[in-house]
Amino acid sequence: MQTGSFQTLRSFTLRWITPLFTAGCLVLACAGFPNAHALASTSPAPLSTRQSTWFVDMNLYSAAAHGSLKCEECHGPMIGKDTAGKNKTHPDKQAQGFLRAETRREFDYASCGKCHKTSFDRFMTGEHAKAMVTEKQTGKVSRTGHAPTCGDCHSAHFSPSHLSRAETGKRMTETCGSCHPSQKLSFLANYHGKAAVNLGYDRSALCTDCHGAHACLSLKEPKEVLSACRRCHPDAGPSFADIIIHDNRMDLDKKTETKQAAMKRVQFLGFLSFVFVTVLLVFFYGHSCLLMLRKLHEKLRKHN
Amino acid sequence: METTTNFPRIHRRFNVLHRLLHIIIIANFTLLAITGFGLHFSGYGWARLLVSILGGPQAAGFLHRFCAVFLYSGIGVHLCWLLYFKLVLNGSLLGPGSLVPGKKDAADLYQNLRYVFGKGRPPLFERFSYLQKVDYWAVMLGMQSMGITGLFMWFPEYFSTVFPGHWVNIASHFHFHEAVLAVMYIGVVHMSDTHLVPEVFPIEKSIFTGTMSEERFREEHPEEWKRMNPAKD
Repeated sequence: MQTGSFQTLRSFTLRWITPLFTAGCLVLACAGFPNAHALASTSPAPLSTRQSTWFVDMNLYSAAAHGSLKCEECHGPMIGKDTAGKNKTHPDKQAQGFLRAETRREFDYASCGKCHKTSFDRFMTGEHAKAMVTEKQTGKVSRTGHAPTCGDCHSAHFSPSHLSRAETGKRMTETCGSCHPSQKLSFLANYHGKAAVNLGYDRSALCTDCHGAHACLSLKEPKEVLSACRRCHPDAGPSFADIIIHDNRMDLDKKTETKQAAMKRVQFLGFLSFVFVTVLLVFFYGHSCLLMLRKLHEKLRKHN
Repeated sequence: METTTNFPRIHRRFNVLHRLLHIIIIANFTLLAITGFGLHFSGYGWARLLVSILGGPQAAGFLHRFCAVFLYSGIGVHLCWLLYFKLVLNGSLLGPGSLVPGKKDAADLYQNLRYVFGKGRPPLFERFSYLQKVDYWAVMLGMQSMGITGLFMWFPEYFSTVFPGHWVNIASHFHFHEAVLAVMYIGVVHMSDTHLVPEVFPIEKSIFTGTMSEERFREEHPEEWKRMNPAKD
């Protein structure tokens, strides 16, 4: 009798354990984690940031960071006399280039400096400003496009304020990555990028935490690199700066020579370990597969 | 009427410590794989979901390191057992019943490959077959390399003062490749060779119960049986 009830219990358990376990996991996934769907979706959340054009959606504008500013505060008066005392007239609506010129190349971003002085001054000392000077001198646009000014990274009309650090990180990676795609890829393959951007860990470093928000240093000087590392890793020694954050082969020529040599060693050893793993797995998978087939064959032969 | 002869005679194969260590390895290895791959593949939705279930990136990272230390401490316990086995129990760490690979293993592999292709009989194994030795050494050596490369990534400040900085990058490549190897080896080769073979399907219980019927023992480890019972055979 006891054995019988035990058998019943056993068969009952065996029959129901899998569906019950699955249902439990599903309930946990749906109820316990309301944002499970958002987490499981692979595409990042759509960015509401839009680049400025000649036309401004005033609903978006008034909700954004600069929403309380009047047009004239940045653009100056359209007609009459401007601050320098020059006469201004409205552009000719019938002219050929009217509303055709690229806004971001037309606008004088010096007016940003009125309110954002520190950022503006830092920008003027940085790599992007240097690239702008070269662009003006040579007249040549670089491989990735025009040297960026404020408006190429920030949307003066639509950028929202008070974003969380994790959200800032996501947008920043997209923004910087639109001109530096290989650096974006290698950053997202690194612990910092994975933790900060993919997992929303707000103590991990973003692009600007190492390269500077507006100076945008390329960090080729070992001393500069080390001081960037030491902001989060105070115990870092000089060789710590030799750790390669942007660990991929794209844009190899952009790295310093020491980093290029190190990169080659890393890639070579990484390739070797990949080959080692593949060879071992192929051998043992083949071995297991053949052995299993032979054993099944022997078992079936015994049955006949 | 029941007599004792109805019960199959059993052979004691693993002691309590072996069984306990095996369970510790299962638990920690699984958690290490889940947290590690969850963090590595965080670009994918399933990994983000996994990490959020585990309590976020910081918690998953902590769990990963905790399990690593727990698992590695098992090696310490195992080494203590080996010392005890050698010094107190007067066991042999190098003999035919040990896990040290020898000429017989190469011969067994060759004979097994012949058997697989239908030429000849399967090899007669000692206490540990060559595949069981590979299982053991894969874990034993794998844990050393995972441990070292893991420490590189855990304490890059220290290791970059002792070694060149880019060794941390090398360590991270090795750590990932080795992790893939470990999971794909244990998940497929160990599982199929140990648990899914027709003789024991669906599970080999001897590593959990410590015992094995004498009939199976004689069949699967005939050389050890011969060594232990020289008169009877």
